[in-house]
Amino acid sequence: MGRTWSSMHDFEVFLHGGGMVEVDDDMPDEYRAAVFRFIELHANSELMGGLTERDWIPRTPGLRHKMAVLAKTQDEIGHGHLLYMVAADLGVKTRQEMLEDLFAGHSRFHNVFHYPARTWGDQVAICLLVDGAAVPSQKSVYKDCSYGPYKRILKRIIAEEGFHLRLGEERALRIAQGTDTQRAMFQQSIDDWWWPALRLFGPDSKPDDRLARWRLKSEKNEVMRAGWVQKFVPMLHSYGFTVPDPGLTHDPETDVWTCGPIDWGPLKKTMAMDGPDTARRIAEASAAWETTRWVRDALDAAPAGAVT
Amino acid sequence: MSTMTVDNTLRDRAVAAVATVDDPEIPGVSIVDLGLLETVTTTADGTVAIGLIPTFSGCPALAMIAADVEAAVTLLPEVGEVTVEWLRSPVWTIERVTDDARRTMATNLTLAVRADSGPTPCPRCDSPTVEKSEFGPSRCRAVHRCDSCLEVIEVMRDR
Repeated sequence: MGRTWSSMHDFEVFLHGGGMVEVDDDMPDEYRAAVFRFIELHANSELMGGLTERDWIPRTPGLRHKMAVLAKTQDEIGHGHLLYMVAADLGVKTRQEMLEDLFAGHSRFHNVFHYPARTWGDQVAICLLVDGAAVPSQKSVYKDCSYGPYKRILKRIIAEEGFHLRLGEERALRIAQGTDTQRAMFQQSIDDWWWPALRLFGPDSKPDDRLARWRLKSEKNEVMRAGWVQKFVPMLHSYGFTVPDPGLTHDPETDVWTCGPIDWGPLKKTMAMDGPDTARRIAEASAAWETTRWVRDALDAAPAGAVT
Repeated sequence: MSTMTVDNTLRDRAVAAVATVDDPEIPGVSIVDLGLLETVTTTADGTVAIGLIPTFSGCPALAMIAADVEAAVTLLPEVGEVTVEWLRSPVWTIERVTDDARRTMATNLTLAVRADSGPTPCPRCDSPTVEKSEFGPSRCRAVHRCDSCLEVIEVMRDR
């Protein structure tokens, strides 16, 4: 057994002093629950994201991109696997329970996985705008993360997501140099994915955010969101695309782009499991789990050492 | 791949340039230290031909690594045409990963390299680990757990 703390105050003093919490520590229940919810949400999102990638393996144009989509699928499912192991170690739910809750629609995954990816343009927009939002979010969690096992896995995940983002930038540049039809397809994808990706950061952070106090987040949502807008508006403009924000403003003095008013209604709907593609996504994930049941059963039934 | 010669030939400088390219998924670890560089051929007129071998032939980073290598070598003075080719042999094995790279991966990324025999030691506490899944987030990695500190780690593998 690891360390114990006599009160939440002592624990927060420990966190404030830069202390790292490890799996065998007797951490306060509220902290354990918060870390667990955080990692479970991340794990679910990796799994749902991996399943979307999988859908695109047969439809991806060109062998090189197909290899990349295959590998990205393995990345996301692999990340989910690592995260489910770390989440289960917290002793709140087993991996089985987490998956059952996910497929029953009882636990959350990120808003961007509640929308359909209809075209290759959508896949490029996801790889650019969604991964472009995921990387700074994950870096913000990683930077000062107080939970050791999650921090160490996040470091590897961030390295791999950075690679996805480079792929996204390469794909976007390629599609920007494409035919009028390809460019029109990508413009439609930007129009459809701009706001969901922007809302991934969430509403402005509250002044006394518990997750910030417990060092599970080191950057305010609005700061990360502003950085994202500042990165992608000039990039898309330079490729000759527009951004679907009539309230977008540009300060010529500082060269800073600021987004217009944000409608949080769609985010609330996805959090209530009522997004445009939520039901189909969950049904597909659940079906994938069911159709592979025989593999798990066979592995469970095999004598020790029979499967290598 | 030895780079321990004193004269600063074009070939040596080309090897040094390739060594500045990190694996896109393992920042801080050069592809030379991972054992991906197999051949460097130069000619008097400044042509450089680089031969690399992939960890796994299905690796999605091949095009990106080749582009990074080409860019790094092209930037050298007195260099003419640069070609980068992925070779089909020899087959990459984990023995090619240098001790330096192993240390960096263990310390910075809790990423181990599969032991030749016996259990792979945990990069955090050196205790034996157990393979939980042959399939990690990449073709070249498995998922292990440490029996002692309970860490979930990834282990680089070649088969």
